[in-house]
Amino acid sequence: MSAEKYVKLPQPQDLSEREKEDAMGAYLMMFAALATSLPLPIINLIAAIVYYYINRKKGRFIHFHCLQSLLSQLPTTLVNWGLLFWALQIFFFDNFEVDDWFYAYLGFAILANLIYFIFSIMAAIRARKGIFMYFLFFGSYAYHRVYGASNELNYDNEKLQNPKTQKVNSPPFL
Amino acid sequence: MKLTVTYQERYSRSELLLRSIFGVFYIVMPHFFLLIFMGIWGSILSFIALISILLTGRYPESMFEYQVQLLRWQLRVNSRIQNLSDGYPAFGLNGTDEYTSLEIEYPERISRGTTLLRLFFGIFYVILPHGFILYFRVLWGVILQIYAWVSVLFFAKFPESAHTFLVGTLRWQYRVNLYMGNMTDVYPPFSSKEEV
Repeated sequence: MSAEKYVKLPQPQDLSEREKEDAMGAYLMMFAALATSLPLPIINLIAAIVYYYINRKKGRFIHFHCLQSLLSQLPTTLVNWGLLFWALQIFFFDNFEVDDWFYAYLGFAILANLIYFIFSIMAAIRARKGIFMYFLFFGSYAYHRVYGASNELNYDNEKLQNPKTQKVNSPPFL
Repeated sequence: MKLTVTYQERYSRSELLLRSIFGVFYIVMPHFFLLIFMGIWGSILSFIALISILLTGRYPESMFEYQVQLLRWQLRVNSRIQNLSDGYPAFGLNGTDEYTSLEIEYPERISRGTTLLRLFFGIFYVILPHGFILYFRVLWGVILQIYAWVSVLFFAKFPESAHTFLVGTLRWQYRVNLYMGNMTDVYPPFSSKEEV
């Protein structure tokens, strides 16, 4: 991965207040389930996906944070779904009993959510200041995807500076 | 905040009858179907904005714009449901309207203290006193709407005082919504007038 393959990273002073706020909003989507008063793990993920598709074209900085926030939600969502499924099987359908494995998984889920919560809040505060924070695995992937030279997305805030020829028409094959 | 619904010199009788008989199918159902989903997203953003205000003291501008656009859309539909305007309300957040307008100034800062006050005690010092008055205004508004409906049907004219009252009630409701939605720190006045 050589430095030439990536677009230059913006510094906090290069970013507008609006960009920083929109980037911060991506991490705060973890509170979406609270807003709808539905304790379903999928709500946060749906909100993050909607937010991602609404905001990704506004700018690279926003796109990066939206993508990182969305990807980092996936493991926690899966863990929470697992917990919900297990709890329903125990308390509603009587298919399993509460045992040590359940308590261990419960502890793991709480820990995973706590770590996710703390890191997301930290990332939100840093994004608000225009500073990058890279999560494990997801950070480097999001950076590569958004700031990589292969990214051909037309960003709203780059259209005036770097007008690209839009690829609208293409042949029926190839 | 500046909310206006233009008073028309003449109102269409045919549109009135069309709205009264089929309005629920061609105005209410399609618009409400979309507004439910947009409203859910709006309430999520409103909650996120609340957290953002507590963290930074600012309502994120793009979220604020979304809320304003959503309120405009609701106003377009409301004014047709209440027969305050003719024509069909435009769909979408970017829709425009020749009869209704809503301008809300973006606040650079929102007080964290006021936000917390609203969150915990808003029901007592905003919802209860304003809701009490608005309840009776809405009741009287229903009677005025029936009176205006007959007036438009026979004379093609909406009674101007009834129009002013109904628009004033809408304005009052929007001011309360803005304050409770953390979109302004200005306590809603106990008045329906445009300039207070």
